Amino acid sequence: MSDFWILVMKELKDLLRDKGLIFGIIIVPLIIYPALGQMMQVGFEQAQEETKVVLVNLDEGQYGDLLIKALETAPNVTLTKIDALSIDEALQKAQEENYNMIVIIPQNFSRAIENNQKAQVEVYGTIRGISGGMREAVSEGRINAVLTVLNEYLAKLKIQQNMEGDPEAILKPIDAKSFTVIKGRIVAVPPSLVANLITSQSFSMPIVIFIMIILVAQMSAGSMAMEKENKTLETLLTLPVKRITIVAGKMVGTAVIGIIAAIAYMIGMRNYLGSLTSSAQVGITLEELGLTVTPQGAALFVLIMFLAMIFALSFAMLLAVFAEDTKSANTVVSAGIMPLTFPTFILMFADLETLPLAIKYFLLAIPFSHPILASRAMLMGEYSTMYASAVYLGVLSVLMLLITARFFTTEKLLTAKLRLRRRG
Amino acid sequence: MKAVLVENLEKDYGKVKALKGISFEIKEGEIFGLIGPNGAGKSTTLKILATLLTPTGGRAEVFGHDVVKEGDEVRKLISYLPEEAGAYKNLKGIEYLQFMAKLYAKTGKSYEKMLELGVKLSGLGDRLNDKISTYSKGMTRKLLLARALMVEPKLAILDEPASGLDIINAYSIRQTIKQFAREKGITFLVSSHNMLEVEFLCDRVALINRGMIVEIGTPKELKEKYEAENLEEVFMSIIGGKQAVEVFE
Repeated sequence: MSDFWILVMKELKDLLRDKGLIFGIIIVPLIIYPALGQMMQVGFEQAQEETKVVLVNLDEGQYGDLLIKALETAPNVTLTKIDALSIDEALQKAQEENYNMIVIIPQNFSRAIENNQKAQVEVYGTIRGISGGMREAVSEGRINAVLTVLNEYLAKLKIQQNMEGDPEAILKPIDAKSFTVIKGRIVAVPPSLVANLITSQSFSMPIVIFIMIILVAQMSAGSMAMEKENKTLETLLTLPVKRITIVAGKMVGTAVIGIIAAIAYMIGMRNYLGSLTSSAQVGITLEELGLTVTPQGAALFVLIMFLAMIFALSFAMLLAVFAEDTKSANTVVSAGIMPLTFPTFILMFADLETLPLAIKYFLLAIPFSHPILASRAMLMGEYSTMYASAVYLGVLSVLMLLITARFFTTEKLLTAKLRLRRRG
Repeated sequence: MKAVLVENLEKDYGKVKALKGISFEIKEGEIFGLIGPNGAGKSTTLKILATLLTPTGGRAEVFGHDVVKEGDEVRKLISYLPEEAGAYKNLKGIEYLQFMAKLYAKTGKSYEKMLELGVKLSGLGDRLNDKISTYSKGMTRKLLLARALMVEPKLAILDEPASGLDIINAYSIRQTIKQFAREKGITFLVSSHNMLEVEFLCDRVALINRGMIVEIGTPKELKEKYEAENLEEVFMSIIGGKQAVEVFE
């Protein structure tokens, strides 16, 4: 086994046996995020429960009855009719029976419709305790859906009675049929839906990349700081191994743990986000839009991710030179890496091409923007931009690696500590 | 060939002058002691020879290799034990020795030999199968000493080797160092502020104070020259009673 692999294996063994570390970075995300998602799911499910509606009908005409029938046949709605003379009385009775929605059909409801005047229905939602009103919001939506259908039905009925022609065409004289042109192909899907789909696919990418970069950076800086804290660094640096091998061994060892941790985060986050977005399915896949990932695109993306990781690792190692223990390592990494990762969040919401020139070039200069841009370019098949990213990141990473290795051949690693007190 | 050559070595930490131009030589197979009070410059000298620090002035060589220009070559010849050293706490004692042996050994056979010697030198027995985090300070020190010596370097640089060890273990390690020098021809550079320990162990000693070497010789020569009973008295005579009290306080 080469010196490099001996160091990598030692690093892995040392880190994987750290119970606190493994619990914190691997077990917790695998438990916390799905648990959080589960809690949200419970909230959603509770909100989606049967809507119980109390109805007070003060109208005596046919349209009041029509509305009642429509509500009775609506899915997930249970209707209970009660007699009340005023709103206060209705509210009181609803509260006694623990109903959260009250619909009041006022007097002269039918007459207003018959006279072609606007009729009004009153809908009350009672928000109690700490529910946050999610249940009431869902209930209101269901009642409004019934009213929309009924409105359209009544409008068409009136058009039929008073005019000639297709009531649908009179009610909505213009209809838009939307298409999307993507990669030179016309797809019969509105651009808004396609945009939603692409965004939903690439929205999580900046978060995942952010987590991965931060985790890997903190792991490598932490591992170097741990050598200082546990007083193993001096021995390590006097072993018959080239300093660049020590740096590389440490980087690969911590990167493996960092990637395992990032995967744990991704699995956890996926479960969490899955519970939030499951209801927002677009109904069309990327493949149907012709947005497939080719082996060339995937290979380029992996290369760009790898180079970004090398940059993060060597930069974090360099920062760790100035840290004396694991606590200060976290601080210096946060101070050094965070400013390079946060601006890339702009790419979650904005198109690079539409941004002001200064911001565009600022973002392009940040190495961590490139994996995010590459994730989209990979889908769109824009390989030339991916090649440009790979070259840029390659140059930056090699430069950073050389600077870090240079620092390791000097006494800088030890002098930060040495400055504090004179040695005997 | 000289094992160690140090000429006008200087080291500054900012405004603090830790070494003010020290010079000495160590012959191959010799046990050389660097003695002096805390803050005298012992550890700094050892760190420069171990390629950890860069001197501000002068030069230092290990078996003819410059410690600054030929650091990689020097590291192949030495084994360094820092004063305040630790080991990887999540590894077992045996895994730590295995890790080190793999980095030094060139063949499978030499790896086995190194490991066997390391196990024997540590004297930790079955406890080697326990995690280092469960070791006492003395046990960790024994493991680290075993690591430093099992690789049978050409030059062993030991900073306060018996630090943290009880009388029995300290005695045992001194015997081992003597035996290694005599039987295997290993050169030792040992630092200590325990002058009696150094007197027992070393062939020659250099007395260092405030970044300067104030005397070099065999313990016998120095004792005769200063008509002293031990090296402690020699040291006191050289730097003067008043200053010595001030230093040791």
